[in-house]
Amino acid sequence: MLRYVIRRIIYLIPLFFGILIIVFVASRIAGNPVQLMTVQNPHITAEARQRLTEYYGLDKPLYHQFFIYLAELFQGDLGNSYALRGGIAVTTLIGDYAWLTFELQLAALFLSLLIAIPVGIISAKKQYSKLDVTVTTTSLLGTCIPVFYMGIIAIIIFAYFLGWFPAGGAHSILPERYPFGSYVLDELWHMALPTAVLTFATLAPVVLLVRSSMLEVLRQDYILAARASGLSERSVIYKHALRNALIPVVTYVGLYFGAMLAGAPVTETVFNWPGVGRLFVEATTKLDFPVIMGITVFITIMTLIANLITDIAYGYIDPRIRFE
Amino acid sequence: MSTEMVLEVKNLVKHFPIMSRGVFLKKQVGIVHAVDGVSFAVRKGETFGLVGESGCGKTSTARAILYLDPPTSGEVYFEGQEVGKIFKSKNKQEILKLRRKMQYVFQNPYASLDPRMTVADIIMEPFAIHKHVPKSKWYDRLYELLELVGLENYHAERYPHEFSGGQRQRICIARALAVEPRLLIADEPVASLDVSVRAQILNLLQELQRKLGITYLYISHDLSTVKHICDRVAVMYLGKFVEIADTDELFSSPLHPYTQALLSSIPVPDPETKALRIILPGEVPSPINPPSGCRFHPRCIYAKEHKCVENAPKLVDVGRGHLVACERMFS
Repeated sequence: MLRYVIRRIIYLIPLFFGILIIVFVASRIAGNPVQLMTVQNPHITAEARQRLTEYYGLDKPLYHQFFIYLAELFQGDLGNSYALRGGIAVTTLIGDYAWLTFELQLAALFLSLLIAIPVGIISAKKQYSKLDVTVTTTSLLGTCIPVFYMGIIAIIIFAYFLGWFPAGGAHSILPERYPFGSYVLDELWHMALPTAVLTFATLAPVVLLVRSSMLEVLRQDYILAARASGLSERSVIYKHALRNALIPVVTYVGLYFGAMLAGAPVTETVFNWPGVGRLFVEATTKLDFPVIMGITVFITIMTLIANLITDIAYGYIDPRIRFE
Repeated sequence: MSTEMVLEVKNLVKHFPIMSRGVFLKKQVGIVHAVDGVSFAVRKGETFGLVGESGCGKTSTARAILYLDPPTSGEVYFEGQEVGKIFKSKNKQEILKLRRKMQYVFQNPYASLDPRMTVADIIMEPFAIHKHVPKSKWYDRLYELLELVGLENYHAERYPHEFSGGQRQRICIARALAVEPRLLIADEPVASLDVSVRAQILNLLQELQRKLGITYLYISHDLSTVKHICDRVAVMYLGKFVEIADTDELFSSPLHPYTQALLSSIPVPDPETKALRIILPGEVPSPINPPSGCRFHPRCIYAKEHKCVENAPKLVDVGRGHLVACERMFS
């Protein structure tokens, strides 16, 4: 087991560097940040531009820049932002934004599993009933409608027309606006809409997955055998069927877990939610190389760890899987 | 062997509706006549065979008897109690009692064991359900059962995927025996096993019957295994019984033309014998629209125009407990 984990981690190293190289090169191909920074200043001189380029080390050959970046990375230094918050350290920046992303994503994942698993089970148990048809149709709609569209519709209805929830952001600007004067309640109030939209988007594929996986398992003879031995229908469903049906769901959640740390760039942008996803979008539009690279490093490491945990979890869920 | 009846089946019918599905409305467009009025009785301690081609309703009969798929109509009596009545009463204690008395061994041992449970969990699960074994004795009983079916103690902590087909079927048998049943319905228990393993499992079943006195309802399409282990045999064709007789009687003097054709298909292990093989014309008709009258008439060489097309023959005793459903018996 330990050998397996160590071997997996060793495999991850070249993968990590591969991803790093691709993003490094791709971002630098995208444009010149110094140009972007100075474009609105008509009085800038060529010398000043040159000084800035040298200051950021962008005058050196690409491989040289990459090695400098690596050397700093190993010292735990992700560099400073070019354009955000007066050149703040990237580690601090990510630290500030990551928590809000976690909050939003964990809430959405938790809620969607909480709803999707029972709904999927009932839908499978009553296959082709009106309820099942309604559930599958809604889920299909949920997977088809893009998140940004759903988000904008939600803002129009619940924020603009009804005024129940704020249209964006994570906090009210003025502390006087906090509901009951509570900072936590204020954040939850702001979270409601993006969480609902993200939950609906995440929920739909999980419902379909649970349903099809349950249908598959319920057809197996060991379900009939459990019934024949006198086990109650409830125990048949939860003890035998669900435990086997959840294996593909764990795969899905594992993959999702990796992706969710990247934030939901679209949802976060639509709701102006100050999370990693929106930060990434902002950094990309400003060609803020250190931030782009920093977020990439963060996401890559988290995703690789999430995948590793999923693989190990398999061994416990499905005894047919052996490490070696 | 006593003449006491363990299981009595009276006019058992199992129909499956065929639904066509619109977006919101369902409509019944037909019926599969899987089992169409089957009656028989199984004596205590005997092995009763049920033979027929694939799709003739053998498994549907078995599942309807066990109420895993409730029958459309008809009655099943187990030791004098009506099974359907007990299940409909929703009396949990009575249902559990009945479940303990009748057990099922499946055709495919690869699909009938929960892949996430160890052998010990699988075999001990019935103890937890029926509470007929005190908790302190669970492991003793588990090892007894494993020994009974020819497995070793160290197999208990393994998972089903670590076993061969034959071993898995032994686990299935051990699970069925865990509740100490009176009747074991074995639905093609050796069909998916290697030929070399079949004899072992069949011998195990026979040995268990000798030791424990269980009654078997043995379902198969393989006539040679039926001849080997059954005391009496019923031949099924398209949801109906065509002939019931003692095994020796049936194999030596089959009366129904379908049984005759079926028996002639058994290979004879002697190159000198030129066995007469009866080839039936055509295919088995669809159970959705079964033929009128005698269901076998479209393929029967003796079929007479009116009699066989219009009248459905009943099972008639022609002596020595030999029952046949064929018009020829009257003329």
